[in-house]
Amino acid sequence: MNGTEARLARIRGRALAKTHNARTIAALASNPGCARRAVMDAAGVDKPRIAAYAGFPAPFGQSRFALARGNAFEAQVKANGAAELLTLLREHLGLPIPQAHYDDLGEVGGNPSLDLRHARTKALLARAAASRGDAGTMFDHPLLRLQVGGRYAFLEPDLIAFQLHGRFHVVEIKSFAVIDGQADGDKVAAAAIQSAVYVLALRDALAEQHIPAEAVSHETILVCPKDFSSRPAAAAIDVRKQLTVLRRQLSRIARIDDLLDLLPAGLTFDLDPDGEGVPRRSPADLAAAIRQVDAAYVPECLSTCEMCYFCREEARGCTAALGRAAREELGGVEHVATVLRLAGAAGTPGAPGGTVASGTAGTPDAPDLAEAAELLRRAARLRAEALHTDAPRAGTPGREAG
Amino acid sequence: MLPSVSVTKSVETLERRIVALRAAVREAVLAGDRERASTLRRDLRAAERAWDDALAAAEAKAAAEAGAAAEAGAGAEAGAGAGHADAAADADAVHAAATAAAPAPQAAARGRGSLLPLREQVHEALSLLTVPAAPRLIATVHEAFFGGAFPSARLTSLKRDEERSFRAAPLARPYYICAALTADLLAPARGLLAISTWPMERRVIGSLSPRVDFLTAAIRVAEAVERLPAPVPAARRLLWRFAASIPGAADGAASMQPHEITEAALAELAVHQAADRAARQAAARRAREQLGDAEQLFGTRIGLAAGHRAGARRPAPRRRGR
Repeated sequence: MNGTEARLARIRGRALAKTHNARTIAALASNPGCARRAVMDAAGVDKPRIAAYAGFPAPFGQSRFALARGNAFEAQVKANGAAELLTLLREHLGLPIPQAHYDDLGEVGGNPSLDLRHARTKALLARAAASRGDAGTMFDHPLLRLQVGGRYAFLEPDLIAFQLHGRFHVVEIKSFAVIDGQADGDKVAAAAIQSAVYVLALRDALAEQHIPAEAVSHETILVCPKDFSSRPAAAAIDVRKQLTVLRRQLSRIARIDDLLDLLPAGLTFDLDPDGEGVPRRSPADLAAAIRQVDAAYVPECLSTCEMCYFCREEARGCTAALGRAAREELGGVEHVATVLRLAGAAGTPGAPGGTVASGTAGTPDAPDLAEAAELLRRAARLRAEALHTDAPRAGTPGREAG
Repeated sequence: MLPSVSVTKSVETLERRIVALRAAVREAVLAGDRERASTLRRDLRAAERAWDDALAAAEAKAAAEAGAAAEAGAGAEAGAGAGHADAAADADAVHAAATAAAPAPQAAARGRGSLLPLREQVHEALSLLTVPAAPRLIATVHEAFFGGAFPSARLTSLKRDEERSFRAAPLARPYYICAALTADLLAPARGLLAISTWPMERRVIGSLSPRVDFLTAAIRVAEAVERLPAPVPAARRLLWRFAASIPGAADGAASMQPHEITEAALAELAVHQAADRAARQAAARRAREQLGDAEQLFGTRIGLAAGHRAGARRPAPRRRGR
């Protein structure tokens, strides 16, 4: 165990390490600036438990009903040798009729062991790549792995399709509806980044066999129920952008040392369990430990991270908590209180102002805030004119602060 | 004695008897006494049938008070005689086999659920499809053409029961519901059921076989739909699900024609058949050479085979039934 591993093990404490899956890797990429998530994930911390113990349990995870619906839809699409899916692929990828091979990699010889399945997935994919099409078309339940923070995480794409011209396509089956050609943007984005994780893992697996990355298409196929029926519809998604973000994010986890260097040496999220596993550490102490690692809370965290309620509470009064768009509108100033004070400061940026509530943000005197202050003042004037009231006074939270 | 009291009493007696028989079956199975277990199971089935009859009688009572008394008497009699119902059970089995041999649509049984044991219902549906199929498809086919609906979840334990029965007394039954084997590793293919009397070539699954079997099943279903004297919505729904995934088979659920679907399926089948047959024949040859009786029916499992191997070495398989 090297220094970093020992450090991460210490942070994790006595709990068992959690391994990554496509969802957590995708979540990692959706908020690249969050050191708290990076450290906790790298250490394999049981985030739901930690968050609950610190007093902010997240009602997180998929609903049972959503899971059941998702599974039923996937089973339907893949039933009878993926007959419905094959029809879609013939329409979308122009799959020729003779290519109708279907290989189930859900278990190998009745043995569902992950290592066996991974080895077999690699062997079959390599064979398909070498034979250019007559040795495999659809691979159901392939098992790939991706190195995340020095450890391998096993990943299971819904299906991998192989097309005639030597390219693999990742197929992702989701149960949210595409109504009149439109789907929920957030869900599509989440599916896209999850697919990108699979593309990356697939490229890794093929690279081991000296097959170039171009063999895996950056276009993934998303299969969803159409309108209000359970008939599947397919759409191609270009995941090049997500791939770039992921690569950056993964290299950042690999450099977890840099993040760890900034943290106190004694930091740990250990719950100090007694002989029966009952935690003895005080929740306040644990919360203090969590606060030692910087978070970058954004509203999107609410749907991807188990620590979201903790971070949201902590980020109260920050412009970032209002969302990226709001933060940019407010001139990139960090705290709502500062924004209000800048807007309310009547004089020039050089005029003396009161102390900023948090003490960490810049003051209106700082030259880099001059432009933002000017913009905010103009906005405050416009608002006052529109509402026929006085400009908001410094330090008084306005309605914008929510 | 009032008729209603007699009905309630006979139902209660039967319930007690069913509970006692279940316990006895469990004990016999745990003790490894197969013969006693199967006798007790037969008694249990007879008691359960009598219980059904008694309940039906109780229902009929509401319509005709006087007539109910006689029926309730019959129910109680059946309950009392359940212990010696071997002859009756045998007669039932003969009847069941006769029904299974002729998988003709049974309009009469439609909507009421079949009276046949589960394995015979599965046999009926698989005989219609003529290819290995997943539990869900088997259940849908049975519901569409044979009238009886059963939850496909019940089939998960069926294969295991059949394997246990085969290993305990090999080839004692005319057929077994068994596994389809993967062509590469000769392991049980996930979620597929087959019939032991089918030739090995039909029971091994290569990478093209799921498609070939799908097309074959589509043709069989189309033929069965054509044979139906009157249109059955469930059967047409099933056929449409096949047709929608075959290029050029049909434009819409309302306008589809079974013979057009057959033609389209045959056209695609012609593309795959040669390659699939070659792969299946090679795998079947390997299976016959390498595997024992039980493995030929239920497959080998990597890493799990050691415990089962003991029962594998038996004389060469004799094909029974057809």
